[in-house]
Amino acid sequence: MNDPVPTSEEEKDVLAAEYVLGLVEAVDMPRLETMMETDADFARRVGAWRQRLGALDETVPGGQAGDALWSRIETALGPSVAPRAGRVEARPSRWMALWDSLPFWRGAGFAAAAAALLLAFGMGYFMQQANRQPVLVAVLMTDQNEAAAVVRAFADGRAELQTIKPIAIPSGRAVEIWTLWDRAIGPKSIGLIQSVSGKIDLRLDGLPRPTAGQLFEMTLEPATGSPIGRPTGPILNKGNAAVAL
Amino acid sequence: MTTRVAIDCDDLIRACALGDRSALRALYELEASRMIGVAQRLLRRRALAEEAVQDTFVSIWHKASTFDAARGAGRTWVYAILRHRALNMLRGERRLEFSDAPIGEEQASEDDDPETIVTQLSDKAALRRCLQGLAADRRAAIVLAYVHGLSHSDLASKLGMPLGTVKSWLRRSLISLRECMG
Repeated sequence: MNDPVPTSEEEKDVLAAEYVLGLVEAVDMPRLETMMETDADFARRVGAWRQRLGALDETVPGGQAGDALWSRIETALGPSVAPRAGRVEARPSRWMALWDSLPFWRGAGFAAAAAALLLAFGMGYFMQQANRQPVLVAVLMTDQNEAAAVVRAFADGRAELQTIKPIAIPSGRAVEIWTLWDRAIGPKSIGLIQSVSGKIDLRLDGLPRPTAGQLFEMTLEPATGSPIGRPTGPILNKGNAAVAL
Repeated sequence: MTTRVAIDCDDLIRACALGDRSALRALYELEASRMIGVAQRLLRRRALAEEAVQDTFVSIWHKASTFDAARGAGRTWVYAILRHRALNMLRGERRLEFSDAPIGEEQASEDDDPETIVTQLSDKAALRRCLQGLAADRRAAIVLAYVHGLSHSDLASKLGMPLGTVKSWLRRSLISLRECMG
């Protein structure tokens, strides 16, 4: 009884040791189980004591662990597809868990319903898109041989221009888009843009349906377009239409 | 040797977390016989020991994903689950078998003697050196508590000491052991 009174640090350590030894009273166990989850310092002390005393487990005379006990463990673990090729086995057992899972099948049901709805909308969308398959495509190239824009002509007579790389347009100027299908007639203006970005519809009304080999080009013109109805400024890019597959 | 086994255990537990049942089987091959021995020293009866080991393997399988090697070796984790389960069976679910005779008295053999157990510790083990630095009765109390699961009151009746005295006496023994082992 002459031993010093334990400090609180020591008390915590002794408590950890008693926990590992199994000397904690039943009434105190829930509190200590909670501490193990929430008090990292206490859990660390418990771990250290397990480490210290673990050597005592090595002194045990090795008994025999038979296949019978393993079979009971396997039974307790629940269904697993018969072990065949070691590590591959894990997957079937997870599939079984999935097969038996109500949340999974509920989810699958909702997913299927959603997919059906999406398909219904999708059908309408694609019907509309069917008319939007281009019949002709022209890639407009710069004189550095870089693709600058794409012209697409559709079966219903419309055409659109999609720029690929930005074109610097000086202020007070515009880019005019031309097409040439007959040299005798000469190029016709089909669009005028002040700022080049994205997609614009081209004006093909009154012109013959575009054909393969037809030339498209973009030139730099005054802000209101070429005053003479013919290209006057430098050619920015050009390309010939090809039949789309 | 011990280190290699410890590393193996860690890997096997991680594989269990990924749903690899062959890893659990490998862990069984590696540790189950020793685990039965540890459980049997606590629970005395082979059937109960096997039950504890069975429950432990089921727990390992379900809790493998919570294993964190940063918080201790896999092997220590496995034996912590086993001891926790066996001690619960011993205390919480105290069985009829244990209510008559004092624990530690039945089927006693020389192998179960605390002094014998201490001498079976590796010569190099700090635990052996530090336990041997304690007085014989203090040493015996710690070993009987850990290995055979004797409670404070079991120890009090075995040593013929009042319960309160045993508790404080054992606490001081643990502090000494802690100081010796660092």
